[in-house]
Amino acid sequence: MKKGSILGIVIIAIAIAMIISIYTDSSTYATFTDAQKTESEIHVVGELNKTKQLYYNPTENANYFAFYMLDHDGTECKVVFNGSKPQDFERSEQIVLTGKMVGGEFHASKILMKCPSKYNKDQVEVTESIASTI
Amino acid sequence: MDIQYQGESLFPGQLGQFFIILSFGTALLSCISYFFATKYKEDTSWHKIARISFFVNVISVVGIGSCLFYIIYSHLFEYHYAWSHSSRTLPVYYIISSFWEGQEGSFWLWMFWQAILAIAVVARGKSWESPAMTSIMLCQTILASMLIGIEVLGERVGSSPFILLRQALEAPVFSNPNYLSMITDGNGLNPLLQNYWMVIHPPTLFLGFASMIVPFAYALAGLWQRRYQEWIQAALPWALFAVMILGAGIIMGSFWAYEALNFGGFWAWDPVENASIIPWFTLIAAVHVMIAFKNSGHSYFTATFLVLISFVLVIYASFLTRSGVLGETSVHSFTDLGMYWQLVAFNLLFFGLMVYFLVSRWKELPITKKDEETYSREFWLFIGALILVVACVQIIATTSIPVFNAMFGTKIAPPVDAIAHYNKWQAAFATLVLILSAIGQFLKYKKTTPKIFYANLLISLIVSVVLTVVLVYITDVYTNFMYILLSFAAVFSLIANARILGDALKGKWKLAGSSIAHIGFALLIVGALVAAATNKVVSLNSGGAIPIAGFEEREKPGENLFLYIDEPITMDGYTITYVGDSITTPNIYYKVNYERKDEKTGKVVERFQLQPNAQQNPKMGLIGTPSTRHYLTKDIYTIVTSAPKLDDPEEHGHDHEGHDPNEEYEEPSTQLVNIGDTLRYKNGFIVVKGVDRNATLQNMPLASGDLLFALQLEVHAVTGEVFEADPKYLIKNGNGFDFAKNIDEQGLRLRFTKIVPDQGMELMVYQKPLPERKWIVMKAIEFPYINFFWCGTIIMTIGFLMSIFRRNKELKGKIA
Repeated sequence: MKKGSILGIVIIAIAIAMIISIYTDSSTYATFTDAQKTESEIHVVGELNKTKQLYYNPTENANYFAFYMLDHDGTECKVVFNGSKPQDFERSEQIVLTGKMVGGEFHASKILMKCPSKYNKDQVEVTESIASTI
Repeated sequence: MDIQYQGESLFPGQLGQFFIILSFGTALLSCISYFFATKYKEDTSWHKIARISFFVNVISVVGIGSCLFYIIYSHLFEYHYAWSHSSRTLPVYYIISSFWEGQEGSFWLWMFWQAILAIAVVARGKSWESPAMTSIMLCQTILASMLIGIEVLGERVGSSPFILLRQALEAPVFSNPNYLSMITDGNGLNPLLQNYWMVIHPPTLFLGFASMIVPFAYALAGLWQRRYQEWIQAALPWALFAVMILGAGIIMGSFWAYEALNFGGFWAWDPVENASIIPWFTLIAAVHVMIAFKNSGHSYFTATFLVLISFVLVIYASFLTRSGVLGETSVHSFTDLGMYWQLVAFNLLFFGLMVYFLVSRWKELPITKKDEETYSREFWLFIGALILVVACVQIIATTSIPVFNAMFGTKIAPPVDAIAHYNKWQAAFATLVLILSAIGQFLKYKKTTPKIFYANLLISLIVSVVLTVVLVYITDVYTNFMYILLSFAAVFSLIANARILGDALKGKWKLAGSSIAHIGFALLIVGALVAAATNKVVSLNSGGAIPIAGFEEREKPGENLFLYIDEPITMDGYTITYVGDSITTPNIYYKVNYERKDEKTGKVVERFQLQPNAQQNPKMGLIGTPSTRHYLTKDIYTIVTSAPKLDDPEEHGHDHEGHDPNEEYEEPSTQLVNIGDTLRYKNGFIVVKGVDRNATLQNMPLASGDLLFALQLEVHAVTGEVFEADPKYLIKNGNGFDFAKNIDEQGLRLRFTKIVPDQGMELMVYQKPLPERKWIVMKAIEFPYINFFWCGTIIMTIGFLMSIFRRNKELKGKIA
């Protein structure tokens, strides 16, 4: 057999292995209801429930942060994160959690947030300067 | 009715917009003229037009930048770009970073570098000038179109940096002609970008991206003009330059991530990082097969294809980061500015050009039918390039998951543990590439005698095995088979290339550049491997934490440590104390003292202070920037993850009329006292010394019949300080008035409010609430041997530089 064909076969084999690997490693965007049904870690996308209090009291425990999140179906769930409160969390518009359900709580191992806030959201703040112009 | 707005300076924006249009027009004209200049070589007028319009283009690109810089520098907040990316408090050197915080500025940066590089192509290109400049100016035209920001057939083309705030936003303020006086400050620069690496990382990265068009343009010109073999030699120094700059730019980004970001690492396989490393991989592969082709005539198609695809991937990278497609998978990509389809078109155009020329010239390409010899350098260079390509495909495939989702409407999420997913594959590829970079150096082009080859190899192999054992033992990476294998591959590459370098010192300078670059790369991998595999959080907080069900199963105690001010805590052999902070607006530096004591003698053997800082950004909350203690063999990285909110200075200092002077104090304690009594207060005690019946008031003469008493008090603070106070009591026309005394240092307010005959004097003690004890929450991570990573980068860059000089010399030798 020619070296070229051997190489071709090897590369195809690696490519197949890679596709399988990406497929098995990839997860799905789920809801809290889906999360209840599985043991494995999944992604949940949703929004912070801003009407409820965030709980982070570092004087008590610097590694406990809890909040309530609404997923895309509108299901609310308490989320517990073993770490400090991520910067700018209150302003997040969208949250992607990685983690799993433990009892009635979702234990997040990673929190990713989208805060378009100041850098894209265009809201002119004139509140303070108006007084000075009168 | 149009509103006559006041105070706007519209000229710089109009001038800038004019330059944008001019740069678009001249780039297009230059592109077309270069096209015809290539077609009709005998007619020099095309060439003349092309050059003139190109130079006007360069001037207008510089003009755009100058106008934009002027706008940001002069704080002209009537412009959206200045308003959203800068503020008055921003130091001058960060104004440069705010320049490229937005997409428009970074497009300009790309255009600018492309113009500079094009000058070099025009100056040195000779017969390559016209065909190569055709593609470069085509790209310049497209980049200019990204800045135009005008509507064509209902679609907005590009996004102009010179758009006015009132045009960009809808807000009721803009109905006021004097709105500008209400906008006192801009939004400011993202605190994460306020780092000196952010001043130089983006320009370097964009120079790298921009310079990749030159080899692309040469390759396309080679196919177009049927100068199939020649272009490779001419493009080689350019390709090396692009690889060197892009590599340096990527690692600078990694420096920035390590020094300024809070994720605690230098590489996170974030899609944005991946997007920049993909074209680097393909161009590295391209450089290797270009050299192989030059020396052996093999791998022509691979070389051409890789050079072309590299630039297409640069455009793909800008699509990924700028179109908003990455959405929820990346933390730091841009959001869509409405240029999604424009970016797609940019991609398709260059991809189409590449495919068209490869297909139409396919039959004429100088592809050898012969198989390479197994014992030849060209064969293994080819294999190495192939591995890099496969590695690249893996990164592209996983990074592009959101793109597939957008294309096919699927909803696949990227891997939960992305870093582990990438590392699993890339560690294997890195191992293979490193081993090849060692073996390749012992092989000759065309044919090598197996006997000599194996003899050379064996010695290096034995030395490497021994050194690997030592390395994995010292650095603690022997727990994982893959780590050992990768360490071995890196050491092997290091040793083999060091031998080549040794030969080079004896006079064979030819291979010095490549061996130095390989040594750098091997060191970089060792540093990355050890630092990534063995870095550990040292601020573990196992004690005192409230157990959280579920987390303990994974044996993950909290990684954040809580510190009260002046209360030492031991952490991984160090005694750390938070001793205070200092404020340099807008940053707060938290001073954390580290002390290491000798276990036996108790003597302090080491003492240093780290000052991680944080910005309490009113819009983004607390943004921490780490502070790192560098040792030769490790780094200790400390970051503040939480701290009490600073008092807003606006809330205090209201000295308005009509305020109750007692309002800042807690509820007073009221008691009857006599001379000689002692009273406690929070911070010490008060002694009643006596009563002065002949007291006077400063601003009020006493009328006859008025009675004024002063209570002489001595206040002893716990700190040992003693203060005196004499609150007074006045009886005037039968009414009582009191004159309080404040001791601000102690937060005390004392009132003498009544005299009760035979029982004593009524003293009211007001106290301010004690200030809350200061605290911080911090995280500390130890990164062992990370210096290899930085060191390797520098060495690799030097290696590339030497190779560029060598290839350039070859080129000159041939042409002259």
